[in-house]
Amino acid sequence: MHRPTHIHPGEINMKSTLRGPWPLASTALALLALVAASDAVHAQAAPAATAAAPAAAASAPARGMNSHRESSFPAILSAKWAGPRLADGQPNVEGHWSNTIGNHGNFTDPQGGQAGGRQRADGAAPAAPARPTRPREERAPSRVSDPADGQVPFQPWARAKQQEFVANFANPTRPEHIEPLARCAPNGIPKSFMWHGFEIRQYPGYVLFLFDSGSRLIHLDGKPHLSETIKLWNADSRGHWEGNTLVVDARNLNGKPLFGRTGEFFSENAQATERYIFQADGKRFNYVTTITDPTVFTRPFTVTIPVRRYTAADPIDGWNFMATKATHKGKDVILEREEQLCYENNGGFGLGGK
Amino acid sequence: MNSRNHHTNAHPWAVGVLLALAASVWLAVPAPSMAASAAPVAGKIPRTSDGKPDFSGIWQTTSAAEFDLEPHAGRKDAPPGPGVVEGNAIPYLPQALEQKKKNFEARLSNDPRLKCITPGVPRSVYYPEPFQILQRKRDLTLVHQFGGNVRTIHTNNTEHPAEPNEWWLGDSRGKWVGDTLVVDVKHFNDVTWLDRAGNFHSDALHVVERWKYLDANTIAYKATIEDAKVFSRPWNIDVILHRHREKNFQIIENYCFTQEYEQYYPPKPPTETSR
Repeated sequence: MHRPTHIHPGEINMKSTLRGPWPLASTALALLALVAASDAVHAQAAPAATAAAPAAAASAPARGMNSHRESSFPAILSAKWAGPRLADGQPNVEGHWSNTIGNHGNFTDPQGGQAGGRQRADGAAPAAPARPTRPREERAPSRVSDPADGQVPFQPWARAKQQEFVANFANPTRPEHIEPLARCAPNGIPKSFMWHGFEIRQYPGYVLFLFDSGSRLIHLDGKPHLSETIKLWNADSRGHWEGNTLVVDARNLNGKPLFGRTGEFFSENAQATERYIFQADGKRFNYVTTITDPTVFTRPFTVTIPVRRYTAADPIDGWNFMATKATHKGKDVILEREEQLCYENNGGFGLGGK
Repeated sequence: MNSRNHHTNAHPWAVGVLLALAASVWLAVPAPSMAASAAPVAGKIPRTSDGKPDFSGIWQTTSAAEFDLEPHAGRKDAPPGPGVVEGNAIPYLPQALEQKKKNFEARLSNDPRLKCITPGVPRSVYYPEPFQILQRKRDLTLVHQFGGNVRTIHTNNTEHPAEPNEWWLGDSRGKWVGDTLVVDVKHFNDVTWLDRAGNFHSDALHVVERWKYLDANTIAYKATIEDAKVFSRPWNIDVILHRHREKNFQIIENYCFTQEYEQYYPPKPPTETSR
């Protein structure tokens, strides 16, 4: 089933005449529907940590698409790197990765279901919003790890805008109610890490992130940032390694990608300090980013997203594990990543079937 | 002014070295009648630890190939260009030539590049925006400004996938033949054009690229373009890519397909007067 069919996760009812670079799409369709409907599938992990202090790991190996969603995850401390290194000295973190707690449906309650019900293409009444079946304390913590209440510290005007987005998300009446990702926009910070799986490639002087929607090239060579007049979906990124941690100063943000379907956002005045803290065995990292934006927030806040590695031992699911097995004469499995180009997907959530 | 500063700031020994270098480059320059591809290599080319040419860097053509692959005089929407097609004319099948003429007439509105998704292959190589090559032993990754496109050229003895696929950028499998990277690209869709003049292809497009250093800062890029549904025979293009060496130069994301709707984001704070 490698006939590419244009499909965008979250846009289930696409016209079949559209074609696109999304192999696996057909097989992924039913799975995507499950995810979109949200937390029907439960994490296998033990009851949860608090938002501020993730508890000890409960990371069983992944089987299938949702079964590896965790409701808690380990903290990873900054430390020296004792794992493998590349020729230029960087810790070797190349490979395929994806978050472990859920997608972008709900930013502060990752397993809490998403906003609104979807307007159906056939004109039938929208489905009721997906509701979680487990109590809050058994679901993954808020991605906001600081402040301790797990909430984005919005200024009142910004909170009102975010809530306006939530209220209109399922059945948008204005262009700004459409989630930019539904129009193929890059996911930006931090949402790139809570969408599909992604690949890290490394080179002397660079770390390259290949996301499902857009890419980021982290410059390790110390060159100055671009002029602040240049604003970007995926930031201008300068990084360096501190032991097991890739520290990235992300600027030139355009503020246009939302954090998820719950409409959280920052402005073009935001800056993010990202820390990618890799576990000693190389199997996980925690993405911990502190976001500052005096235009939108009352104080800086910190987002934590747990991420795990996917290898040839994992089943390719077309969701978290976005890879294919290369054709070659040898017996070993060579993983590779297909082109990711999203296009003509301007229906927006709620209008995609039209 | 600039040139004076340059000279007064340079150490005398540096000037001497520069003069010597200039002389050696001068001696290495081929006679004007020689084809660019026949130019000898001047100086050492960058190599990876395993001895292969290292194409890492940021590259861009100065040719007018993007505007029209064939020879063309200047016109409102294109600077003139001598053409980059071997033999000048693209060998269209009769029906395809009619389509090309229609494309040309409608080029200002119908060129798929205007959707800002991707120029495709080989057009992304001579599109007039920089792209960065990042190289590992197993692959070369081409990160393009335009559309944020990323193409992987696999150099690890892997093969095209067997099943039919239709990708915008095709499936790229490369092999080193001496110091030339030979890339076989197929499994395309039929949505992209080859230039702004309406030259086009079908999903039967098959491209064989040849990447070779002319010198440490110049790549000779050749491509053989084959498409039995559109062309009567394979044909070749010849383009030169130059390394960007400006201080602190970098590629800048250009997800231009977002420009139609980016005005709607992010939400704006209340203005001072409305507070």
